[in-house]
Amino acid sequence: MTEPSKEQDGKKTTLTTFNRVARYTLVRLITLFITVVIGVYLTVLIANMGGYVDEIRRGEIRETIQMRMLTDPTLRNLPADVRMKQMEEMIRLQEKYYGLDQPFVVRSVRFLKNALTLNLGRSLQLTSDSGSRQVRLILLERLPATLLLFGTADLVLFFLSLYLGLSLSRRYGSFWDKLTVALSPLSSAPGWFYGIFLIVLFAAVLKVLPFGGMVSIPPPDNPFLYALDLLYHMILPVMAITISSIFLSVYGNRTFFLIYSSEDYVEMAKAKGLKSRDVERRYILRPTLPTIITSFALLLIGLWTGAPIFETVFNWPGLGRTIYRAVGLFDTPVIVASTVIFAYLLAVTVFLLDFIYALVDPRVKVGGGQERAG
Amino acid sequence: MRKFFVVLGLLVAVSMMLAACGPKATEVPEAPAATEAPAATEAPAPAKPAPQGAWVDSVVFTSIDSPDSAITQLQAGQLDLFAETVSNPENFKVVKDDANLRYYTSLGAYTEITFNPVLNFADGRLNPFGDPQIREAMNMLVDRNYIVQEIYGGLAVTKLLPMNSSFPDYAKYIDTARALENIYAYNPDKAKAIIAERMEALGATMVDGKWQYNGEPVTLIFIIRIEDERKVIGDYVAGVLEDAGFVVDRQYKSRADASPIWNRSDPKEGQWNFYTGGWITTAISRDDGSNFAYFYTNLGSGSPLWQAYTPSEEFFTVSERLWNNDFKTIEERGELFQKAMELALKDSVRLWLVDQVSFSPARANVQVASDLAGGVSGSRLWPYTIQFTDKEGGEMRVAVNGIPVDPWNPLQGSNWISDSMAYRATADVAVMPDPYTGLAWPQRIEKAEVVAQEGLPISKTLDWVDLKFEPEIQVPADAWADWDAANQKFITVGEKFPEGTTALVKTTVIYPKDLFETVKWHDGSPLTVGDFVMGMILTFDPGKSESPIYDEASAENLDSFLSHFKGVRIVSTDPLTIETYDDYYLLDAELTVSSWFPAYAYGSAPWHGLAPAIQAEGDGKLAFSADKASANSVEWTSYIGGPSLDILKEYLDKAAGESYIPYAATLGEYVTADEAAARYANLQKWYGDHGHFWVGSGPFYLDKVYTTEKSVVLKRFADYPDKADKWLRFGEPKIAEVELDGPSQVKIGEEAKFDVMVTFGGEPYPSAELDSVKYLLFDANNNLISKGDAVMVAEGQYQVVLSADVTKALAAGSNKLEVVVASNVVSIPSFQNIQFVTAP
Repeated sequence: MTEPSKEQDGKKTTLTTFNRVARYTLVRLITLFITVVIGVYLTVLIANMGGYVDEIRRGEIRETIQMRMLTDPTLRNLPADVRMKQMEEMIRLQEKYYGLDQPFVVRSVRFLKNALTLNLGRSLQLTSDSGSRQVRLILLERLPATLLLFGTADLVLFFLSLYLGLSLSRRYGSFWDKLTVALSPLSSAPGWFYGIFLIVLFAAVLKVLPFGGMVSIPPPDNPFLYALDLLYHMILPVMAITISSIFLSVYGNRTFFLIYSSEDYVEMAKAKGLKSRDVERRYILRPTLPTIITSFALLLIGLWTGAPIFETVFNWPGLGRTIYRAVGLFDTPVIVASTVIFAYLLAVTVFLLDFIYALVDPRVKVGGGQERAG
Repeated sequence: MRKFFVVLGLLVAVSMMLAACGPKATEVPEAPAATEAPAATEAPAPAKPAPQGAWVDSVVFTSIDSPDSAITQLQAGQLDLFAETVSNPENFKVVKDDANLRYYTSLGAYTEITFNPVLNFADGRLNPFGDPQIREAMNMLVDRNYIVQEIYGGLAVTKLLPMNSSFPDYAKYIDTARALENIYAYNPDKAKAIIAERMEALGATMVDGKWQYNGEPVTLIFIIRIEDERKVIGDYVAGVLEDAGFVVDRQYKSRADASPIWNRSDPKEGQWNFYTGGWITTAISRDDGSNFAYFYTNLGSGSPLWQAYTPSEEFFTVSERLWNNDFKTIEERGELFQKAMELALKDSVRLWLVDQVSFSPARANVQVASDLAGGVSGSRLWPYTIQFTDKEGGEMRVAVNGIPVDPWNPLQGSNWISDSMAYRATADVAVMPDPYTGLAWPQRIEKAEVVAQEGLPISKTLDWVDLKFEPEIQVPADAWADWDAANQKFITVGEKFPEGTTALVKTTVIYPKDLFETVKWHDGSPLTVGDFVMGMILTFDPGKSESPIYDEASAENLDSFLSHFKGVRIVSTDPLTIETYDDYYLLDAELTVSSWFPAYAYGSAPWHGLAPAIQAEGDGKLAFSADKASANSVEWTSYIGGPSLDILKEYLDKAAGESYIPYAATLGEYVTADEAAARYANLQKWYGDHGHFWVGSGPFYLDKVYTTEKSVVLKRFADYPDKADKWLRFGEPKIAEVELDGPSQVKIGEEAKFDVMVTFGGEPYPSAELDSVKYLLFDANNNLISKGDAVMVAEGQYQVVLSADVTKALAAGSNKLEVVVASNVVSIPSFQNIQFVTAP
């Protein structure tokens, strides 16, 4: 009698778990989708200043064409009436090109639809490095350079600060601990700030490292030499990012681990005589894993935004400068595309993290909140 | 690990200290001392054998956004030239103080205050700038010298009139200009008195030092641009007006924010009273006659602001006549122009402030011909003249803000100055613009003839053009007047104008007999008449709706062109001789010549380089223009990178397989199938070697393009037909240096003599190269008493003789004698003045 009952109970439990996870997944996906829709439409509205960008664009078109009429020798000396007619026609065509012959509300809905379906379309003014106006290429052509620099720097920073933070948490009060605490205010200055100093020292004065750029000009044709040249050009920017963030990151991690190190169960483990490495791994690192994974995941998707000033200082062809230029030019398709991709990345990350938490931390149960409450 | 951090920490600390100390510019003693400016004192380039085409072996372009960074790299020897124009006074000081650097100046940008010309706004507010006399008085209220010295740090020249002070018209009418500049010299007391009188006449009252109208303070809304020195200028002008009794509402705005207000709002709404305007000219204009109508009348633009302009009838008529060249002689134009100068100041809807001086910094051992308006990047001569003064050949490292920015294609490609600087080096030209006068010199053509209808105010300066006048110019019936895009045939004059037609101007260009033997495209294909005919076809085809490469934007350009174009005829192919008939002309015969050389608006190309792109656009795969590409959701044709390359390669292979001749019905008469096959094979090999389709015939060829790394490499074209020293004489502008000497005291009623020395580089300025040496005499109240020409005594030596009658007209007191020297070889005039006292 007991066996079938257990089996039934097991099936029931599995079914209940499946229902719970499915319901949770559905609700979570719908919530995230609505969030993305709202976020993207807000971006469309903000990027267009609620439609005022149309006025700006009209003014710029007229001003640009007026200036062209004055500077283009083939136009400036045309008879007044011919020139006036041509000017107005050029203005009309440009306004049509920018879609200004349609109301903003209609265009804003189209922007939203295209964004949500990841139909990134074509930019208004920006071109990709290779000369295409496909927004997809504008963003993707810059992605490798961004990932390479910031990915490398951030990964180095992440793991180094994790290691050093954990290490210092075990040496609380030591010289290195005090030094790290003392140097942590250095992180109040951004990476580009240190970049300028480093460029002055190593490029202008010592002349041992390049001023900036991704590779030497002209770039080496040999792939191996190209890779070496790339690494050579990454030294200063990676150094700048590391200097600007390492001390605060180590300090943060060290404090974070210190808090966990003083938990009762850690004291208990120590009292039981476990090796310090085991204590670290099982009793400190394991419970902090969700937090570490969250930081890591957000760090990865944060790469998408780039860093315009930093990239400018180091003349690095990254995404940050592209997006910054797009904002300056009111190039709505590029702004919206970069935002919607970030929104999707964030939504997917948040969604997946819920499941990852459940996997790495037995205390967490996907969609279990209601049951606990009940 | 410990050591690592110790070393790292020390490095950061040392770097901070070093950076704080700042690298002194003079601490890098590498090159010989630089010269001050592109002025007369520069030593000539050392004699060295001239290679074929260009002086240097290669030019490597790189992208640097910031002038600060570029200057630091120049100081460190990592860069040879920053080709962008810089206007920051701090940067200028750094460059000027560094013995290893030099700079090239240009005066293309200018600044003004734009006034709202409506007197009473819709809500009843009074706009003082609606009153012409108040606007006129503003010329004396603002201290332009203060702006030049304190705001621009000397990097500007005062400006009173709507013409660039380094362009020929200013030098041509310099006596009138200087007289007006004296009349409208800074005189705040006089200006305030005029303003007060007019404000009271308009119904305003002064209460506690502030003007009031209908019981409310007169508040002026000032739109101040924030991107450049105009922000400080705005603050200065606002302060001046506050001092004159107005309340100024300073609204700081970017271009994007300001434009809808000043350029698009109805001036009657009163959203603004005045605005800090800025303009730029990238090439020397030899005819500024249209500026008056453009800036002061409703002919300039359809904008609400322009439509609100109400110039006097006389000013409108004079301006319109100048624009439309409605005069018979240059003398008549001169009278109109000088009248317009006076009336412009009476009207003053714009308060001109300064011609801005920009500079391009370079290493001291770099020499290049820089255009007076466009700077180095805008100079057509840069690729022909750029060189190291201390070595032969070499690699020139040039930085610009971005390269490549947009796709390159010859018909509708990138218009960015940094891109055009590079691709112009790959293109040859028929005539070369003079960077110092704006005139044209023959480059690829041998000679030209201009026949104008009698009574047209056309003149010539240089010998390579013959100028004749005839009572009537009939256009031959077999000349091509238009294009039948459906049948791909030219429409002759006989077909388009059965009754026959005439033109105001006929130009004939004659190319050298060996043109087709000596000129080669970079892929090895020889230049042929087919390349010229292709250029003629493409003048029309994109603007015709039946064409597969029809572009809506080109249609309007074509309409405009056809409104004056009458016909073109290839008279001979050996030597190549082309006649053009047109109703459009410029005042200089040299600039009126139509060459039909295959150099398009955005680069040159052989016909076989255009064929694949034309086919691709016809099939809806690519589009030459950005607008059409976006409208059709296809790629904007790029010859140098991106998805276009695969498409162009596909069409090139197809064309090569078929020995395809585009526009075969017409071009087929000039191109054989064998020639087509050979050319396509050359282009295929070129693409294989260089990875792009950019083929020109200039002194450099495009070797490599690095789109992500933002770099372009040009290499010297060894098969270029000319030696590099062909344009050596344009190494620097020959700006005259003037010395003036004479008595410090003159007795009224007695003759007085003053000596004038005009030199360049310490040598007498050749009289053959001088246009005029004029003098202007002003009394103590800045009234122009006398003007005339100085008398030549010897080469470089002149004398101003003030007769007894002239000195009799002077009152006792201080006077000023000013000498103005205008040159034929550089359009910047030189000035010198001397003060003397008159006593009975």
